[in-house]
Amino acid sequence: MAIPQHALERLKGLRSEGHPGGIFTSDFSVNEFLLVRKAGFEPVGLCVGSCIYHLGIQYASWSQNQEMSVLSQAMYHARELAMSRMRAEAEGMGADGIVGVELTVKRMEWDDKILEFIAIGTGVVHAKGHPGYKGHNGKPFTSDLSGQDFWTLLQSGYRPLEMVMGSCVYHVAHQGMFKSLGNIGSNTELTNFSQALYDAREIAMERMQHEAIAVKAEGVVGVDLHEGSHNWQPHIIEFFAVGTAVTPITTERDASTIPDPQLVLSVNN
Amino acid sequence: MSWFNRFRGNASLPSTPDSAQQDFAGDAAERLKKWESALLHHHLPDFVKHRLAEAGNGKLPWIATMTPVELAQTHRYRVRPIAMVSGTCWYHFGYSWTNGHINGWHTALQRMKQEAVAAGANAIIDVRMRKIELEVESSMDFTVIGTAIRIEDMPPNPEPVVATVSALEFMRLLEAGIVPTGIAIGAHYEWLTNWQGSLMPLDARGGWLNQPLTTLGNFWERVRKKALSELRQDVHKYGNGALAHIHFGELLKVEDDNNPRYLGRHIVIATVTDGERYRSVPHDIRHVVDMCDGPSPLIKPRPSTHNVYDTNQEEGSI
Repeated sequence: MAIPQHALERLKGLRSEGHPGGIFTSDFSVNEFLLVRKAGFEPVGLCVGSCIYHLGIQYASWSQNQEMSVLSQAMYHARELAMSRMRAEAEGMGADGIVGVELTVKRMEWDDKILEFIAIGTGVVHAKGHPGYKGHNGKPFTSDLSGQDFWTLLQSGYRPLEMVMGSCVYHVAHQGMFKSLGNIGSNTELTNFSQALYDAREIAMERMQHEAIAVKAEGVVGVDLHEGSHNWQPHIIEFFAVGTAVTPITTERDASTIPDPQLVLSVNN
Repeated sequence: MSWFNRFRGNASLPSTPDSAQQDFAGDAAERLKKWESALLHHHLPDFVKHRLAEAGNGKLPWIATMTPVELAQTHRYRVRPIAMVSGTCWYHFGYSWTNGHINGWHTALQRMKQEAVAAGANAIIDVRMRKIELEVESSMDFTVIGTAIRIEDMPPNPEPVVATVSALEFMRLLEAGIVPTGIAIGAHYEWLTNWQGSLMPLDARGGWLNQPLTTLGNFWERVRKKALSELRQDVHKYGNGALAHIHFGELLKVEDDNNPRYLGRHIVIATVTDGERYRSVPHDIRHVVDMCDGPSPLIKPRPSTHNVYDTNQEEGSI
């Protein structure tokens, strides 16, 4: 292993002129950058989409478990807008897809009904121009996998199609005074709470699964289920499921051809 | 047991820090004068130059932020640390906090590069960006600190490359034909004012309905896009890629006389890279599973070395 000539010249202070590929921007770490390239892709640019959204109002009955459908829709719609703007930016720069997407929600300090949704990721193209890595319907694929995970996913014979998500904002019932008194001194499950949390999670995951079906995915990897309350009133909680829908590259790579990982014990910590 | 003698106070030390200062620069008043003229004329005081030159030619011990692992790795590539170099600029914001950041950082970077040139370095690695906010009105301290390195058999670089990545990552990038060359900054701010009442609906309309706020949203998008396009221009001076690890954005509402105005500002800081495109890592990558308990040194999803701003990545759950 040696340092390539190009790099040596640069270190000597000889400026290499002309960059036919143009300038790329990305928020990759060094490892991600190297592994995305190793996977056969080149970063083209940072893709950002955002949406500043005003949440509507919905009241929940104090003593009832129920989905806050207005809020569910808002949280979903706003993220979808941010994602589609990000995807539009990627399409504009001719990217095959976006990896390392991060979805964040930020509350505006001056109004708690206004939230900002941000989707940010790095647009990538296949270095050899292979057309087979696009997402659903020839649009750029999106994925929240890191550069490392992206490399590993391709190694295992799958490619990402689309980030899929589901949201459910839920009101968990308060217990009436009479019921609470009845519980004093006894060990008992608060079934209405259990039920509510179960139900909300179930709805979020189901919605995500429907999205995966819509893009004809075989499965969803790297699923994360977030619970957040975004400074709403007590007893209101959002369940948000997000993951990357994947499909086999041609046919699923036979498990025996995937090399065994090596085990290492690192000494530098 | 000379170190033990020192505790007993009966050993004569070869030189104390005080005497070293005297060697190079005379008394404190003289030093101050030298600093003043150096900053004014954009050069380094002669005692700093002298120290760095001595470190560069091996007469003074080298100083490095590297860990032993990194030292081993750089040694393999015949890379030698020389000295820690730094640049500082305490900057007062005149008309703009946002643009002040560009000037502050760039001046500090320029000063650090001067030190590296004085040491005869090829590159500065592991550059950390620091800011100190003391209660001095409308001003901030911008400091960069890094380790100057020299590559064996290579002439000194008149314009040393600046890398925010650690020694380990620096060598990894070089091996792949990519050189981190500097720090690029893109910043933009803009005011959105209530012009002829056109903004009124923005606040009034909200009410019961779910809806995207388009005026504010478009404004914010424009601010960010301008910051990113400034970043691209800055990148253009040093290389062909940017690993933008720091994003700082703020949308503030200012209300005077019931007349809301919005300030949007966005700052992006990136490590510039210069490399051949479509040229992949030259060797196989082995798939390993780390058997360490606790946080693994192999897993470091986001770099944390130059985290000067609270990024908006952390704020709010997803």
